[in-house]
Amino acid sequence: MTGATAVERAELLETARELARRELVPRAAALDAGEQDVLATCWRQLAEIGLDRALLAEEHGGSGLSVSDLLAAIEELAAGEGGIALCVLLANAALATLPSEHAAAIPGGARWALVPVRSGAEATVSDGRLEGSVASALGAYGTEGVVFAVQGDRPASIAVAAGTPGLELARDEAQMGLRAAPAASIGLTGIDAHADLTQSDGASAPADAGGVLALLRAGTAAIARGIARRAYGMALEYAKARRQGGVAIIEHDAVSEMLAAMAVRLSCPLPAAAGAAAALAAKVAASDAAVASTTDAVQVFGGTGYMRETGIEKLMRDAKYCQLFPEPNWVAQDELMRLACD
Amino acid sequence: MRVAALERPLREEFPRLLRDGERACELEALRARTRRFADEHVRPRALEIDRRTGEDPGWFDWELVRAGAEHGMLRFLIPAPAGGEGGSPIHCSVVMEELCAACPGIALIFGAHALGVSPLLLGGASHWDGVLAELLDSERAGSPMLMACAITEPEAGTDVEDPDLLRRGRITSHARRVPGGFRLSGTKRFISNGSVARWITVLMPTEPRRAAETLTCFLLDTRSEGFSVSRVEHKMGQRACPAAELRFDEVFVPDELIVGREGDGAAETMIVLASSRPPVGAIATGIARGAYERLLAWLSEDPAARGLLERQHVQLVLASMEEEIHLSRQAYMDAATELDSGALGRVRSDPSVRALGHVPASIRRRARVRRWLASERARDATVALLHRTTSERALTRSLALSSLAKARGADVAMRVTGAALELVGLRAGPVRAELEKLWRDAKLTQIYEGTNQLNRIEVYRGLCHGETVNCLPPLHRAHVNADVPRHADLEAGTNGNAPQRPVVGTVVGAVGGRV
Repeated sequence: MTGATAVERAELLETARELARRELVPRAAALDAGEQDVLATCWRQLAEIGLDRALLAEEHGGSGLSVSDLLAAIEELAAGEGGIALCVLLANAALATLPSEHAAAIPGGARWALVPVRSGAEATVSDGRLEGSVASALGAYGTEGVVFAVQGDRPASIAVAAGTPGLELARDEAQMGLRAAPAASIGLTGIDAHADLTQSDGASAPADAGGVLALLRAGTAAIARGIARRAYGMALEYAKARRQGGVAIIEHDAVSEMLAAMAVRLSCPLPAAAGAAAALAAKVAASDAAVASTTDAVQVFGGTGYMRETGIEKLMRDAKYCQLFPEPNWVAQDELMRLACD
Repeated sequence: MRVAALERPLREEFPRLLRDGERACELEALRARTRRFADEHVRPRALEIDRRTGEDPGWFDWELVRAGAEHGMLRFLIPAPAGGEGGSPIHCSVVMEELCAACPGIALIFGAHALGVSPLLLGGASHWDGVLAELLDSERAGSPMLMACAITEPEAGTDVEDPDLLRRGRITSHARRVPGGFRLSGTKRFISNGSVARWITVLMPTEPRRAAETLTCFLLDTRSEGFSVSRVEHKMGQRACPAAELRFDEVFVPDELIVGREGDGAAETMIVLASSRPPVGAIATGIARGAYERLLAWLSEDPAARGLLERQHVQLVLASMEEEIHLSRQAYMDAATELDSGALGRVRSDPSVRALGHVPASIRRRARVRRWLASERARDATVALLHRTTSERALTRSLALSSLAKARGADVAMRVTGAALELVGLRAGPVRAELEKLWRDAKLTQIYEGTNQLNRIEVYRGLCHGETVNCLPPLHRAHVNADVPRHADLEAGTNGNAPQRPVVGTVVGAVGGRV
């Protein structure tokens, strides 16, 4: 993964920004409502600009972007729709986990998702078989395949194509946030954890669990930041237009202080997401900031913000899920301290 | 799971506030009754109703309202002489916390009903045998009616809840004086229960450019010609209770259905808010408690949470929740007690109010007595009673304490529900959906009944700066449209110039309560 030149990077970000503005923002409500055909339409457009396999080398049919390029693009997408940005992150994380030749064998435009799994608590690999159940795996529903990143003493990555016997995916209807990345409750019964993806419907690969999780955390930080940016933009615009007490509400300190706090949070750079500890810190900081900013944004909108029509309350729900994925922030902080003590 | 600390008798938990043993027992009984209703009817239906109303915001569970009516959830605030239980903001608060620990959306149905009733308690005894009696009759007949209170407008949310902002705000609704009453025009927005209420108390100015001086409270029959529900909102949370946009197209309201006096609406609104914000603090406290209880149950019982209770982090989070819930409960009880026994306490115990309560309903309901109770002189006497028994300073302080309890409780609800959700994570199973719902529900408490920011301005005015807000209607009020005949004049055929009979005795309305 060589990464793009500065010019290519700028072009990529502009393309992602434009796609978010033109295609994702108008479809955000439909995506939030779980409309799968709208998700498919958006996904096709993302595949056309190569964001579905951004990290894969060009010789393997990918875009050959660096992780930092991908994270920048994800932030731009999230400023349009957070769930779609998560789909991009999960697809790229899934492919990054597989050996390049296996990843290259997955048809272009196919949506796959990475699902982190705790060994023992959620699933076990024994005698070459994957068994267990995973609740609310974000982005896994409706995919063409899932890569299970099994964490624990014996980490492994196991790719399973949709439709494989023993793989049950049920939509998690209660999912509150990032609904454009539909969550699934997954049942795993006797999944072959040895088979070669190019030969059949499953593949295993030596896992770099730390690297994959770091990517998920850094990507979640980018999504959170994109969401916070959108919330700030919408709240600022509304505060200039809405009048109470005879003046625009931005002239009331009670409102301008909330907006200033949002701007301050956005002005603080995220820790460079290189390395496990930095990714953890970035994820915690960005998701906490996004929850604070989106909650304040709803407050700026007042009663209107609490209604679905403005789309601002959706940002609050999406931001909350960034605090919980790929693990709750308190668990992430635990992990951060464990790394600090190692 | 019940939390031991929360099972303590109210009298033990609030030794300073509930010195009156009889009052404590009465509240205990009310809490027990509400808890039965919550356990049997609310908690089991909460998630399903949230899901259904998420798909169709117009869907409404009348069966739940009937069950609530059977448990007294619609009558606790109605004055005893009218046949209700004569409760106060303390009673309302106790009910709200219990219901909200189960489901804040369902609780809001009953809370919005109580808010709709509240202005009538200020309007004097004329409503005892009118709409309040009708509410109770419908309840007894097994087809309960709901009330709502309509204040917010599309262009004026915060503006209509603050007298200063109201002077500069853009109020677009208008109540136009016509012979015998008013014609109401305009739009009200985000009205809880608005699409299902039979009666609505509506605040509208008779002169929109002088809204603060002419805001007036009307009691509106939703079957009136010209009234319509233009939409029901898709809300983030508290979905069981519909929030509606209401259209008023020259809706006629007769003079006798003006609540209080013409032009007293701004002051009435402040007293209503002082009374309704402690219950909102209780709503928020109940939401926080609901999340806390669910979290504790999950930590104690779910195999997925095994070992977590031994973690110091988890213990500290739980301790912080306990602390925050305890303090927000003390804040709303303090505010409600201050209002009940302080600012408005002497109104309830005034001899004239007590005497009126002893007048049999059969006498009160005689046409001549009813006419008198609805007369402008009786309304003046009600205002005079307020001036005699309380003060703007006392009400301002009460409003500030109420606002403190509301804002504090709302922030606690957000913090506790957010922290509980973070602790259980995405893969916790069914408890996650319950906590997510409570988190969505919690956000509304920072917005309705005045945003938290506005509430804190009230705290500054009333407690930090020692200001006195205009909370009492003026003792004497010249009628704005004195040349237009009133309904009573039309009935008497006098065009308003008939000599007035002298007032015999002091028979005035009551600010709710029992006698």
